[in-house]
Amino acid sequence: MSAPAEGTLRAIATFVATFGIGVATYITIADSGGGSPVCVAGGSGCETVADSSYSHLFGANIAVFGIVGYVLLLTVALLRGDGARMAGFAISLGGFGYSVFLTYLELFKIEAICQWCVASAVLMTILFGLNAVRMVGYVGRPA
Amino acid sequence: MSGKSSREERREQRLQQESEGERQERRKRLLQIGSALVFIAVVAVAVVIVVNSTGGDGGGEVDLEDTSLVEDQLSGIPQQGMALGQPGAKVTLYEYGDLQCPVCKAYSEEVIPNLIDSGVRGGAAKIEFRNFTIIGPESVPAGAAAVAAGMQGRGWDYIELFYRNQGPEASGYVTDEFLTEVAKGAGVPNVAKWNKDRKSSKVISEVEATTKEAQTLGFTGTPSFAVEGPGTSGKESLGTPGSAGEIEAAIEAAS
Repeated sequence: MSAPAEGTLRAIATFVATFGIGVATYITIADSGGGSPVCVAGGSGCETVADSSYSHLFGANIAVFGIVGYVLLLTVALLRGDGARMAGFAISLGGFGYSVFLTYLELFKIEAICQWCVASAVLMTILFGLNAVRMVGYVGRPA
Repeated sequence: MSGKSSREERREQRLQQESEGERQERRKRLLQIGSALVFIAVVAVAVVIVVNSTGGDGGGEVDLEDTSLVEDQLSGIPQQGMALGQPGAKVTLYEYGDLQCPVCKAYSEEVIPNLIDSGVRGGAAKIEFRNFTIIGPESVPAGAAAVAAGMQGRGWDYIELFYRNQGPEASGYVTDEFLTEVAKGAGVPNVAKWNKDRKSSKVISEVEATTKEAQTLGFTGTPSFAVEGPGTSGKESLGTPGSAGEIEAAIEAAS
């Protein structure tokens, strides 16, 4: 089975990364005033997760690192060539791995689920899938 | 002429094959790097999760002790804020304590249970805990956590359970995870609300205000006690009595 056209993969990745920037920015803004993201379907999961010690890393909300990650993924989606393919794969792999860890924390440590974090984890998983297909299918081939 | 052209064609073909070979080699190398990255990521995530689940980051599971003992000790006694006992009790005994203080823990285990049985349960007196944070900076979030639990009628469950699970003074054990586990163990009904309340400026100010109050009363150590009732002129300082008997006598005199 041949991989989808690289242009299609890049276009979808551009859209998903832009959406990811929006989600991570919302979480950052909601947290910056001492508050927390509002769970769309109600409940206090987002509040519990935002108030936990795991929500910050090196003094910054982890959503800030999310914004940086999505911006980098948006950038590599817009670029051509092996550098962009490998960078996109490596960054999305890191983001996906970190999302797995955060989901583990939500389920087993914090014991609360934040819909916004789940949304971000889903987007990062999609981006990892797109970048993995792009890398495996096109790396080492002309741009 | 045609011989030259065919030589050029062969040369061109050879160069193309070499170039294709190089591309294949490069592709193979990059795919190997990709596979190595996947392997590293899987190992890294697995290690981080294992380390976390065994409490290696200092924020792991907290196994609370004496949860049911505290529950039994306080069962059936009304609580309002940080006060334990009948709201209409004539005498109020004030305890100025620091949740990190080992002497307070000893009082909680050896003196307070006697006072609960002799005076509080019968309705003669109520005990009000007031934070006097002198051990270290972590005493403030610990005290605030107790005040926030008090806002949901579990202040004394929180205080007593904290003391039963107290760690070495200012050793860093007062983490968000520890405070949350104590809240859960103390039966705080809405942990999310408690979590928000304990960080609020209102609750932190209360902890600071009671610490100032203790200093104004002339207390220099924890636990310190004061008593107020019909037999006293305002709040009378008891300092740090050596036994439950001394406090019981003071309550009797204040009645």
